[in-house]
Amino acid sequence: YTDLITRYNLNSKLGTFLSRPNPSDGDLTLSKKNDKAISTIEGGHKRSIRSLAWKPNTKNESVIATASFDSTTGIWHREEHERAPGNKENSAVLDSEGKEEEEEWRFAVVLDGHDSEVKSVAWSAGGSFLATCSRDKSVWIWEEMEGDNYETIAVLQDHSQDVKMVVWHPEDELLASASYDDTIRLYKEDVDDWVCCAVLTGHTSTVWSISFENAGSASRLASASDDQTARVWKRKSRIAAMKPVVQQPSIIKQAEDETEDWEEECCLPKVHSRTIYSIDWSKNTGLIATAGGDGLIIVYQEIKIDNLQPQFGSSSPEWKIVAQIPAAHGVHEINSVAWCPKWDNEGLKTKEEVLLSAGDDGVVNVFEFETDSS
Amino acid sequence: LHDPFAPSPGGDSAYSSGASDQDDDEDESAAEDIDEQEIYDLISSISDPEHPLSLGELAVINLPHIHVTHGTPTPSNPHPMSHVLVEITPTINHCSLATVIGLGVRVRLEQALPTRFRIDVKIREGTHQSTDQVNKQLNDKERVAAACENETLMGVLSNMLATCK
Repeated sequence: YTDLITRYNLNSKLGTFLSRPNPSDGDLTLSKKNDKAISTIEGGHKRSIRSLAWKPNTKNESVIATASFDSTTGIWHREEHERAPGNKENSAVLDSEGKEEEEEWRFAVVLDGHDSEVKSVAWSAGGSFLATCSRDKSVWIWEEMEGDNYETIAVLQDHSQDVKMVVWHPEDELLASASYDDTIRLYKEDVDDWVCCAVLTGHTSTVWSISFENAGSASRLASASDDQTARVWKRKSRIAAMKPVVQQPSIIKQAEDETEDWEEECCLPKVHSRTIYSIDWSKNTGLIATAGGDGLIIVYQEIKIDNLQPQFGSSSPEWKIVAQIPAAHGVHEINSVAWCPKWDNEGLKTKEEVLLSAGDDGVVNVFEFETDSS
Repeated sequence: LHDPFAPSPGGDSAYSSGASDQDDDEDESAAEDIDEQEIYDLISSISDPEHPLSLGELAVINLPHIHVTHGTPTPSNPHPMSHVLVEITPTINHCSLATVIGLGVRVRLEQALPTRFRIDVKIREGTHQSTDQVNKQLNDKERVAAACENETLMGVLSNMLATCK
Protein backbone atom coordinates (compact mmCIF):
# COMPACT_ATOMS: atom_id res chain seq x y z
CA TYR A 1 0.00 0.00 0.00
CA THR A 2 1.06 3.54 -0.55
CA ASP A 3 0.01 6.70 1.07
CA LEU A 4 -2.60 8.98 -0.26
CA ILE A 5 -3.73 8.91 -3.78
CA THR A 6 -5.19 12.01 -5.23
CA ARG A 7 -7.43 10.55 -7.87
CA TYR A 8 -10.06 9.81 -5.38
CA ASN A 9 -13.46 11.36 -5.39
CA LEU A 10 -15.30 11.32 -2.15
CA ASN A 11 -18.57 12.12 -3.78
CA SER A 12 -19.14 8.42 -4.12
CA LYS A 13 -21.35 6.54 -1.77
CA LEU A 14 -19.08 6.65 1.20
CA GLY A 15 -19.54 5.09 4.56
CA THR A 16 -19.79 6.78 7.85
CA PHE A 17 -17.14 8.85 9.46
CA LEU A 18 -16.89 10.77 12.64
CA SER A 19 -16.81 14.48 12.52
CA ARG A 20 -14.43 15.70 15.13
CA PRO A 21 -16.30 16.49 18.33
CA ASN A 22 -16.46 20.23 18.31
CA PRO A 23 -18.56 21.88 20.98
CA SER A 24 -18.83 25.19 19.19
CA ASP A 25 -20.71 24.17 16.09
CA GLY A 26 -22.35 21.35 14.23
CA ASP A 27 -20.62 21.81 10.92
CA LEU A 28 -19.39 19.07 8.74
CA THR A 29 -16.84 19.11 5.99
CA LEU A 30 -16.78 16.69 3.11
CA SER A 31 -13.31 16.42 1.79
CA LYS A 32 -11.87 15.31 -1.45
CA LYS A 33 -8.21 14.74 -2.09
CA ASN A 34 -5.67 15.74 0.45
CA ASP A 35 -6.57 18.70 2.62
CA LYS A 36 -9.19 19.93 0.27
CA ALA A 37 -12.83 20.15 1.07
CA ILE A 38 -15.36 20.06 -1.73
CA SER A 39 -18.21 21.27 0.36
CA THR A 40 -19.15 22.08 3.89
CA ILE A 41 -22.53 21.50 5.37
CA GLU A 42 -23.30 24.25 7.81
CA GLY A 43 -26.06 25.01 10.23
CA GLY A 44 -28.91 22.65 10.93
CA HIS A 45 -27.46 20.96 13.96
CA LYS A 46 -26.83 22.61 17.30
CA ARG A 47 -24.26 20.10 18.49
CA SER A 48 -21.62 17.80 17.02
CA ILE A 49 -22.50 15.57 14.11
CA ARG A 50 -21.51 12.08 15.15
CA SER A 51 -21.93 10.23 11.88
CA LEU A 52 -23.58 10.33 8.49
CA ALA A 53 -24.92 8.04 5.80
CA TRP A 54 -25.33 8.51 2.04
CA LYS A 55 -28.65 7.36 0.73
CA PRO A 56 -28.29 4.65 -1.93
CA ASN A 57 -30.00 4.65 -5.33
CA THR A 58 -30.78 8.33 -5.59
CA LYS A 59 -31.40 9.97 -8.94
CA ASN A 60 -30.28 13.46 -9.88
CA GLU A 61 -29.55 14.31 -6.32
CA SER A 62 -27.41 13.27 -3.37
CA VAL A 63 -29.00 12.65 -0.02
CA ILE A 64 -27.19 12.47 3.30
CA ALA A 65 -28.57 11.68 6.72
CA THR A 66 -26.67 13.12 9.69
CA ALA A 67 -26.82 11.91 13.30
CA SER A 68 -26.19 14.62 15.85
CA PHE A 69 -25.58 14.93 19.55
CA ASP A 70 -28.41 17.49 19.52
CA SER A 71 -30.72 14.42 19.52
CA THR A 72 -31.98 14.98 15.99
CA THR A 73 -31.27 13.38 12.65
CA GLY A 74 -31.00 15.62 9.61
CA ILE A 75 -31.73 14.84 5.97
CA TRP A 76 -29.83 16.91 3.42
CA HIS A 77 -30.34 17.14 -0.32
CA ARG A 78 -28.17 18.41 -3.10
CA GLU A 79 -29.06 18.46 -6.75
CA GLU A 80 -26.65 16.65 -9.00
CA HIS A 81 -26.31 17.58 -12.64
CA GLU A 82 -25.47 15.17 -15.36
CA ARG A 83 -21.78 15.33 -16.03
CA ALA A 84 -19.59 14.08 -18.77
CA PRO A 85 -17.68 11.09 -17.50
CA GLY A 86 -14.42 12.74 -18.50
CA ASN A 87 -15.01 15.70 -16.27
CA LYS A 88 -12.67 15.32 -13.36
CA GLU A 89 -14.21 18.07 -11.33
CA ASN A 90 -17.48 16.31 -11.40
CA SER A 91 -18.61 17.50 -8.03
CA ALA A 92 -18.00 21.18 -8.39
CA VAL A 93 -18.80 23.70 -11.04
CA LEU A 94 -16.17 26.17 -12.15
CA ASP A 95 -17.38 29.71 -12.21
CA SER A 96 -16.06 32.40 -14.53
CA GLU A 97 -12.99 33.01 -12.42
CA GLY A 98 -12.14 29.35 -12.39
CA LYS A 99 -13.02 29.10 -8.75
CA GLU A 100 -14.93 26.13 -7.55
CA GLU A 101 -18.44 27.06 -6.83
CA GLU A 102 -19.97 25.09 -4.06
CA GLU A 103 -23.25 23.47 -4.63
CA GLU A 104 -25.81 23.95 -1.97
CA TRP A 105 -26.81 21.32 0.49
CA ARG A 106 -30.38 21.89 1.55
CA PHE A 107 -31.43 20.91 5.05
CA ALA A 108 -34.67 19.21 4.12
CA VAL A 109 -35.97 17.36 7.15
CA VAL A 110 -35.31 17.15 10.87
CA LEU A 111 -36.19 13.83 12.42
CA ASP A 112 -37.15 14.40 16.02
CA GLY A 113 -37.85 11.73 18.54
CA HIS A 114 -34.76 10.56 20.35
CA ASP A 115 -34.32 11.78 23.91
CA SER A 116 -30.58 12.24 23.72
CA GLU A 117 -27.54 12.06 21.43
CA VAL A 118 -28.11 10.28 18.12
CA LYS A 119 -25.00 8.23 17.43
CA SER A 120 -25.50 6.49 14.14
CA VAL A 121 -27.74 6.48 11.12
CA ALA A 122 -28.11 3.95 8.29
CA TRP A 123 -30.19 3.57 5.11
CA SER A 124 -31.51 0.16 4.18
CA ALA A 125 -30.21 -1.36 0.95
CA GLY A 126 -33.09 -0.05 -1.12
CA GLY A 127 -33.04 3.31 0.61
CA SER A 128 -36.62 3.08 1.79
CA PHE A 129 -35.88 2.68 5.49
CA LEU A 130 -33.70 4.77 7.74
CA ALA A 131 -32.49 3.49 11.10
CA THR A 132 -31.16 5.68 13.91
CA CYS A 133 -29.83 4.86 17.36
CA SER A 134 -29.14 6.90 20.43
CA ARG A 135 -27.78 7.19 23.90
CA ASP A 136 -31.43 6.88 24.98
CA LYS A 137 -30.96 3.10 24.41
CA SER A 138 -33.42 2.92 21.55
CA VAL A 139 -33.24 2.11 17.86
CA TRP A 140 -35.77 3.84 15.59
CA ILE A 141 -36.79 2.84 12.10
CA TRP A 142 -38.20 5.52 9.81
CA GLU A 143 -39.89 5.08 6.47
CA GLU A 144 -39.77 7.71 3.79
CA MET A 145 -43.19 8.84 2.67
CA GLU A 146 -44.02 11.24 -0.13
CA GLY A 147 -42.74 14.78 -0.04
CA ASP A 148 -39.91 14.64 2.43
CA ASN A 149 -42.05 13.09 5.11
CA TYR A 150 -40.72 10.39 7.35
CA GLU A 151 -42.86 8.18 9.51
CA THR A 152 -41.65 6.31 12.56
CA ILE A 153 -42.45 2.68 11.98
CA ALA A 154 -40.63 1.15 14.94
CA VAL A 155 -39.09 2.11 18.25
CA LEU A 156 -36.97 -0.79 19.47
CA GLN A 157 -35.95 -0.71 23.10
CA ASP A 158 -34.19 -3.99 23.57
CA HIS A 159 -30.75 -2.68 24.54
CA SER A 160 -30.10 -1.86 28.18
CA GLN A 161 -27.53 0.87 27.40
CA ASP A 162 -26.49 3.39 24.71
CA VAL A 163 -26.72 2.11 21.17
CA LYS A 164 -23.51 2.95 19.34
CA MET A 165 -24.15 1.93 15.78
CA VAL A 166 -26.81 0.61 13.40
CA VAL A 167 -26.24 -1.12 10.05
CA TRP A 168 -28.54 -2.81 7.55
CA HIS A 169 -27.96 -6.15 5.90
CA PRO A 170 -26.72 -5.60 2.32
CA GLU A 171 -29.81 -7.27 0.81
CA ASP A 172 -32.36 -8.39 3.35
CA GLU A 173 -34.44 -6.13 5.53
CA LEU A 174 -32.44 -7.13 8.56
CA LEU A 175 -31.08 -4.49 10.92
CA ALA A 176 -28.19 -4.85 13.36
CA SER A 177 -27.30 -2.63 16.31
CA ALA A 178 -24.22 -2.50 18.57
CA SER A 179 -24.30 -1.25 22.12
CA TYR A 180 -22.55 -0.11 25.27
CA ASP A 181 -24.31 -3.09 26.89
CA ASP A 182 -21.70 -5.33 25.14
CA THR A 183 -24.25 -6.99 22.84
CA ILE A 184 -25.27 -6.86 19.21
CA ARG A 185 -28.94 -7.23 18.32
CA LEU A 186 -30.66 -8.10 15.08
CA TYR A 187 -34.15 -7.00 14.09
CA LYS A 188 -36.58 -7.88 11.38
CA GLU A 189 -40.19 -7.39 10.51
CA ASP A 190 -42.56 -9.97 11.89
CA VAL A 191 -45.98 -9.59 10.30
CA ASP A 192 -46.50 -5.91 11.10
CA ASP A 193 -44.03 -5.34 13.88
CA TRP A 194 -40.31 -4.99 13.91
CA VAL A 195 -38.88 -7.28 16.57
CA CYS A 196 -35.51 -8.21 17.95
CA CYS A 197 -34.79 -11.62 16.45
CA ALA A 198 -31.30 -12.36 17.79
CA VAL A 199 -28.86 -11.27 20.49
CA LEU A 200 -25.15 -11.77 19.90
CA THR A 201 -23.20 -12.01 23.12
CA GLY A 202 -19.50 -12.60 23.57
CA HIS A 203 -17.81 -9.22 23.61
CA THR A 204 -16.78 -8.23 27.12
CA SER A 205 -17.14 -4.50 26.65
CA THR A 206 -18.83 -1.87 24.47
CA VAL A 207 -19.37 -2.91 20.85
CA TRP A 208 -18.45 0.19 18.86
CA SER A 209 -18.82 -0.89 15.29
CA ILE A 210 -20.41 -3.56 13.12
CA SER A 211 -20.32 -4.31 9.41
CA PHE A 212 -22.03 -6.92 7.23
CA GLU A 213 -20.36 -9.08 4.65
CA ASN A 214 -21.66 -8.83 1.12
CA ALA A 215 -22.68 -12.42 0.49
CA GLY A 216 -26.39 -12.30 -0.01
CA SER A 217 -28.51 -14.00 2.59
CA ALA A 218 -25.47 -15.86 3.89
CA SER A 219 -23.80 -12.60 4.90
CA ARG A 220 -21.88 -12.71 8.12
CA LEU A 221 -21.41 -9.82 10.51
CA ALA A 222 -18.12 -8.41 11.81
CA SER A 223 -17.88 -6.47 15.07
CA ALA A 224 -15.28 -4.37 16.88
CA SER A 225 -15.20 -3.61 20.56
CA ASP A 226 -13.68 -1.80 23.50
CA ASP A 227 -12.50 -5.26 24.60
CA GLN A 228 -9.85 -4.85 21.86
CA THR A 229 -11.16 -7.76 19.81
CA ALA A 230 -12.84 -7.96 16.43
CA ARG A 231 -15.13 -10.91 15.81
CA VAL A 232 -17.07 -12.54 13.00
CA TRP A 233 -20.59 -13.87 13.55
CA LYS A 234 -22.67 -16.10 11.34
CA ARG A 235 -26.19 -17.33 11.14
CA LYS A 236 -26.46 -20.93 12.26
CA SER A 237 -27.68 -23.24 9.60
CA ARG A 238 -31.34 -24.09 9.77
CA ILE A 239 -30.77 -27.66 10.85
CA ALA A 240 -28.37 -26.72 13.61
CA ALA A 241 -30.69 -23.98 14.72
CA MET A 242 -33.65 -26.29 15.03
CA LYS A 243 -32.08 -28.60 17.56
CA PRO A 244 -32.27 -26.55 20.72
CA VAL A 245 -35.82 -25.55 19.92
CA VAL A 246 -36.99 -29.02 20.79
CA GLN A 247 -35.65 -28.70 24.29
CA GLN A 248 -37.05 -25.24 24.89
CA PRO A 249 -39.80 -25.06 27.50
CA SER A 250 -43.06 -24.26 25.82
CA ILE A 251 -43.45 -20.95 27.62
CA ILE A 252 -40.69 -19.50 25.47
CA LYS A 253 -42.25 -18.06 22.41
CA GLN A 254 -40.90 -19.83 19.39
CA ALA A 255 -42.88 -18.28 16.62
CA GLU A 256 -42.59 -19.52 13.07
CA ASP A 257 -39.74 -17.56 11.62
CA GLU A 258 -39.31 -14.82 14.12
CA THR A 259 -36.05 -15.84 15.72
CA GLU A 260 -32.69 -16.24 14.15
CA ASP A 261 -29.82 -18.13 15.63
CA TRP A 262 -26.43 -16.49 15.32
CA GLU A 263 -23.13 -17.63 16.72
CA GLU A 264 -19.59 -16.37 16.92
CA GLU A 265 -17.57 -17.86 14.11
CA CYS A 266 -14.13 -16.59 15.03
CA CYS A 267 -12.07 -13.85 16.54
CA LEU A 268 -9.81 -11.92 14.17
CA PRO A 269 -6.06 -12.00 15.02
CA LYS A 270 -5.52 -9.80 18.06
CA VAL A 271 -3.26 -6.86 17.45
CA HIS A 272 -4.98 -3.77 18.77
CA SER A 273 -3.91 -2.58 22.19
CA ARG A 274 -6.66 0.01 22.71
CA THR A 275 -10.35 0.25 21.93
CA ILE A 276 -11.25 -0.68 18.34
CA TYR A 277 -13.60 2.06 17.18
CA SER A 278 -14.32 0.99 13.66
CA ILE A 279 -14.58 -2.06 11.45
CA ASP A 280 -15.50 -2.22 7.78
CA TRP A 281 -16.02 -5.34 5.71
CA SER A 282 -15.33 -4.57 2.07
CA LYS A 283 -18.40 -5.31 -0.01
CA ASN A 284 -16.11 -5.77 -2.96
CA THR A 285 -12.91 -7.60 -1.95
CA GLY A 286 -14.02 -9.27 1.29
CA LEU A 287 -11.14 -7.70 3.20
CA ILE A 288 -11.84 -6.42 6.70
CA ALA A 289 -10.24 -3.27 8.11
CA THR A 290 -10.15 -2.16 11.73
CA ALA A 291 -8.82 0.95 13.46
CA GLY A 292 -8.85 2.37 16.93
CA GLY A 293 -7.42 4.24 19.85
CA ASP A 294 -3.95 2.82 19.32
CA GLY A 295 -3.68 4.65 15.98
CA LEU A 296 -3.29 1.38 14.08
CA ILE A 297 -5.11 0.33 10.95
CA ILE A 298 -5.19 -3.42 10.36
CA VAL A 299 -6.38 -5.18 7.21
CA TYR A 300 -7.38 -8.86 7.44
CA GLN A 301 -7.97 -11.42 4.73
CA GLU A 302 -9.78 -14.69 5.08
CA ILE A 303 -7.73 -17.80 4.35
CA LYS A 304 -9.79 -19.83 1.98
CA ILE A 305 -9.15 -23.49 2.52
CA ASP A 306 -10.14 -25.71 -0.34
CA ASN A 307 -11.30 -29.27 0.07
CA LEU A 308 -13.02 -28.51 3.29
CA GLN A 309 -14.97 -31.38 4.62
CA PRO A 310 -17.67 -29.74 6.63
CA GLN A 311 -19.01 -32.98 7.99
CA PHE A 312 -15.91 -33.36 10.15
CA GLY A 313 -16.60 -30.93 12.93
CA SER A 314 -16.40 -27.21 12.67
CA SER A 315 -13.40 -26.12 10.73
CA SER A 316 -13.39 -22.52 11.82
CA PRO A 317 -12.25 -20.13 9.14
CA GLU A 318 -9.00 -18.32 9.66
CA TRP A 319 -8.00 -14.78 8.95
CA LYS A 320 -4.53 -13.45 8.38
CA ILE A 321 -3.25 -9.92 8.63
CA VAL A 322 -2.30 -8.57 5.23
CA ALA A 323 -1.51 -4.99 6.18
CA GLN A 324 -0.67 -2.98 9.27
CA ILE A 325 -0.44 0.76 9.22
CA PRO A 326 0.97 2.03 12.52
CA ALA A 327 0.39 5.63 13.49
CA ALA A 328 -1.91 6.09 10.50
CA HIS A 329 -2.89 9.47 11.92
CA GLY A 330 0.35 10.21 13.73
CA VAL A 331 -0.18 10.29 17.48
CA HIS A 332 -3.94 10.57 17.09
CA GLU A 333 -6.71 8.07 17.64
CA ILE A 334 -8.64 6.76 14.63
CA ASN A 335 -12.40 6.86 14.80
CA SER A 336 -13.46 5.42 11.52
CA VAL A 337 -12.34 3.33 8.55
CA ALA A 338 -14.30 2.75 5.36
CA TRP A 339 -13.63 0.98 2.04
CA CYS A 340 -14.54 2.94 -1.05
CA PRO A 341 -14.33 2.47 -4.77
CA LYS A 342 -11.32 4.07 -6.35
CA TRP A 343 -11.94 6.55 -9.13
CA ASP A 344 -9.66 6.78 -12.10
CA ASN A 345 -8.34 9.84 -13.89
CA GLU A 346 -11.38 9.92 -16.11
CA GLY A 347 -13.68 10.20 -13.15
CA LEU A 348 -14.92 6.66 -13.53
CA LYS A 349 -15.37 4.18 -10.78
CA THR A 350 -12.87 1.30 -10.94
CA LYS A 351 -13.07 -2.13 -9.44
CA GLU A 352 -10.27 -1.33 -7.05
CA GLU A 353 -10.81 0.09 -3.64
CA VAL A 354 -9.16 2.55 -1.33
CA LEU A 355 -9.37 2.66 2.42
CA LEU A 356 -10.40 5.87 4.12
CA SER A 357 -9.71 6.68 7.73
CA ALA A 358 -10.80 9.57 9.94
CA GLY A 359 -8.85 10.56 13.03
CA ASP A 360 -8.91 12.85 16.02
CA ASP A 361 -6.61 15.14 14.05
CA GLY A 362 -9.64 16.08 11.94
CA VAL A 363 -8.04 14.59 8.86
CA VAL A 364 -9.35 11.99 6.44
CA ASN A 365 -6.57 9.82 5.03
CA VAL A 366 -6.80 7.72 1.88
CA PHE A 367 -4.81 4.51 1.57
CA GLU A 368 -4.35 2.52 -1.55
CA PHE A 369 -3.92 -1.14 -0.91
CA GLU A 370 -2.38 -3.45 -3.44
CA THR A 371 -3.13 -7.11 -3.30
CA ASP A 372 -2.43 -9.93 -5.65
CA SER A 373 -5.62 -11.71 -6.30
CA SER A 374 -4.07 -15.14 -5.97
CA LEU B 1 -25.16 14.78 51.31
CA HIS B 2 -21.97 15.51 53.08
CA ASP B 3 -19.01 13.32 53.53
CA PRO B 4 -18.66 12.42 57.20
CA PHE B 5 -14.95 11.80 56.77
CA ALA B 6 -14.25 15.21 55.35
CA PRO B 7 -11.70 17.23 57.34
CA SER B 8 -13.33 19.59 59.83
CA PRO B 9 -14.17 23.07 58.57
CA GLY B 10 -11.10 24.41 60.37
CA GLY B 11 -9.36 23.89 57.08
CA ASP B 12 -10.69 27.08 55.56
CA SER B 13 -7.24 28.57 55.37
CA ALA B 14 -5.81 25.47 53.75
CA TYR B 15 -8.51 25.86 51.15
CA SER B 16 -7.44 29.28 50.06
CA SER B 17 -3.71 28.72 50.17
CA GLY B 18 -3.24 25.10 49.29
CA ALA B 19 -4.50 25.17 45.79
CA SER B 20 -2.87 28.18 44.29
CA ASP B 21 0.92 27.88 44.57
CA GLN B 22 1.71 24.28 43.83
CA ASP B 23 1.12 24.38 40.17
CA ASP B 24 3.59 26.64 38.43
CA ASP B 25 5.37 23.93 36.51
CA GLU B 26 3.22 23.99 33.42
CA ASP B 27 5.98 25.26 31.21
CA GLU B 28 6.81 23.21 28.15
CA SER B 29 10.55 23.00 28.87
CA ALA B 30 10.31 19.73 30.75
CA ALA B 31 8.19 18.19 28.01
CA GLU B 32 10.70 15.40 27.49
CA ASP B 33 9.58 12.76 29.87
CA ILE B 34 6.49 13.58 31.78
CA ASP B 35 6.55 11.56 34.98
CA GLU B 36 4.11 10.64 37.72
CA GLN B 37 4.99 13.67 39.83
CA GLU B 38 4.15 15.98 36.96
CA ILE B 39 0.81 14.30 36.43
CA TYR B 40 0.17 14.57 40.16
CA ASP B 41 0.93 18.27 40.08
CA LEU B 42 -1.48 18.73 37.17
CA ILE B 43 -4.45 17.10 38.83
CA SER B 44 -3.98 17.23 42.61
CA SER B 45 -4.90 20.91 42.62
CA ILE B 46 -8.33 20.27 41.08
CA SER B 47 -11.02 21.30 43.58
CA ASP B 48 -13.45 18.79 44.91
CA PRO B 49 -16.94 19.64 43.63
CA GLU B 50 -18.40 19.37 47.14
CA HIS B 51 -15.64 20.33 49.53
CA PRO B 52 -13.50 23.43 49.75
CA LEU B 53 -10.43 21.27 49.35
CA SER B 54 -8.32 19.98 46.51
CA LEU B 55 -8.31 16.38 45.31
CA GLY B 56 -4.74 16.07 46.58
CA GLU B 57 -5.70 17.27 50.06
CA LEU B 58 -8.62 14.87 50.18
CA ALA B 59 -6.33 12.02 49.07
CA VAL B 60 -8.62 11.35 46.12
CA ILE B 61 -5.50 11.72 44.01
CA ASN B 62 -2.40 9.94 45.32
CA LEU B 63 1.03 9.84 43.75
CA PRO B 64 1.47 6.04 44.09
CA HIS B 65 -1.76 5.54 42.14
CA ILE B 66 -0.50 7.30 39.03
CA HIS B 67 1.31 5.25 36.39
CA VAL B 68 3.05 6.63 33.33
CA THR B 69 4.63 4.60 30.52
CA HIS B 70 6.34 5.83 27.39
CA GLY B 71 6.60 3.91 24.14
CA THR B 72 9.91 3.76 22.28
CA PRO B 73 9.99 5.06 18.73
CA THR B 74 10.77 2.45 16.07
CA PRO B 75 11.41 2.95 12.35
CA SER B 76 7.96 1.62 11.51
CA ASN B 77 6.29 3.67 14.22
CA PRO B 78 7.99 6.98 14.91
CA HIS B 79 5.00 8.17 16.94
CA PRO B 80 4.72 5.82 19.88
CA MET B 81 2.01 6.46 22.40
CA SER B 82 2.53 7.40 25.98
CA HIS B 83 0.11 6.12 28.52
CA VAL B 84 -1.08 7.48 31.83
CA LEU B 85 -3.31 5.60 34.24
CA VAL B 86 -4.78 7.53 37.14
CA GLU B 87 -6.64 5.64 39.82
CA ILE B 88 -8.81 7.83 41.94
CA THR B 89 -9.97 7.04 45.47
CA PRO B 90 -13.42 8.46 46.18
CA THR B 91 -13.79 9.82 49.71
CA ILE B 92 -16.72 7.51 50.37
CA ASN B 93 -17.63 4.34 48.55
CA HIS B 94 -20.98 5.58 47.32
CA CYS B 95 -19.78 9.01 46.35
CA SER B 96 -22.24 10.11 43.70
CA LEU B 97 -19.75 12.58 42.33
CA ALA B 98 -17.11 10.01 41.49
CA THR B 99 -17.96 10.32 37.79
CA VAL B 100 -17.74 14.11 37.85
CA ILE B 101 -14.39 13.98 39.65
CA GLY B 102 -13.08 11.42 37.19
CA LEU B 103 -14.28 13.54 34.28
CA GLY B 104 -12.53 16.57 35.77
CA VAL B 105 -9.28 14.62 35.97
CA ARG B 106 -9.66 13.40 32.40
CA VAL B 107 -10.50 16.83 30.98
CA ARG B 108 -7.58 18.41 32.87
CA LEU B 109 -5.16 15.82 31.48
CA GLU B 110 -6.55 16.03 27.96
CA GLN B 111 -6.04 19.78 28.00
CA ALA B 112 -2.57 19.71 29.53
CA LEU B 113 -0.87 16.67 28.02
CA PRO B 114 0.49 16.25 24.49
CA THR B 115 -1.81 14.32 22.15
CA ARG B 116 0.45 11.26 22.15
CA PHE B 117 -0.89 10.48 25.61
CA ARG B 118 -3.62 7.91 26.03
CA ILE B 119 -5.41 8.59 29.27
CA ASP B 120 -7.18 6.06 31.45
CA VAL B 121 -8.96 7.31 34.54
CA LYS B 122 -10.27 4.63 36.83
CA ILE B 123 -11.76 4.29 40.26
CA ARG B 124 -9.32 2.40 42.44
CA GLU B 125 -10.41 -1.19 42.87
CA GLY B 126 -12.59 -1.71 45.92
CA THR B 127 -13.11 1.94 46.78
CA HIS B 128 -16.50 2.46 45.23
CA GLN B 129 -19.64 0.37 44.99
CA SER B 130 -20.08 0.79 41.26
CA THR B 131 -16.46 0.84 40.10
CA ASP B 132 -17.06 -0.95 36.82
CA GLN B 133 -19.94 1.26 35.79
CA VAL B 134 -18.09 4.47 36.54
CA ASN B 135 -14.92 3.23 34.85
CA LYS B 136 -16.74 2.28 31.69
CA GLN B 137 -18.37 5.66 31.47
CA LEU B 138 -15.17 7.58 32.18
CA ASN B 139 -13.31 5.79 29.42
CA ASP B 140 -16.00 5.97 26.77
CA LYS B 141 -14.73 8.60 24.37
CA GLU B 142 -18.13 9.33 22.94
CA ARG B 143 -19.77 9.84 26.33
CA VAL B 144 -16.94 12.09 27.43
CA ALA B 145 -17.24 14.12 24.21
CA ALA B 146 -20.99 14.47 24.73
CA ALA B 147 -20.53 15.39 28.39
CA CYS B 148 -18.14 18.14 27.33
CA GLU B 149 -20.96 19.68 25.31
CA ASN B 150 -23.18 19.83 28.39
CA GLU B 151 -23.06 23.37 29.67
CA THR B 152 -24.21 22.65 33.21
CA LEU B 153 -21.61 19.97 33.64
CA MET B 154 -18.91 22.10 32.06
CA GLY B 155 -19.80 24.84 34.53
CA VAL B 156 -19.17 22.48 37.42
CA LEU B 157 -15.94 21.28 35.80
CA SER B 158 -14.59 24.74 35.15
CA ASN B 159 -15.11 25.60 38.81
CA MET B 160 -13.22 22.48 39.77
CA LEU B 161 -10.41 23.29 37.36
CA ALA B 162 -10.28 27.00 38.23
CA THR B 163 -7.82 26.26 41.03
CA CYS B 164 -5.38 24.67 38.59
CA LYS B 165 -4.25 27.74 36.75
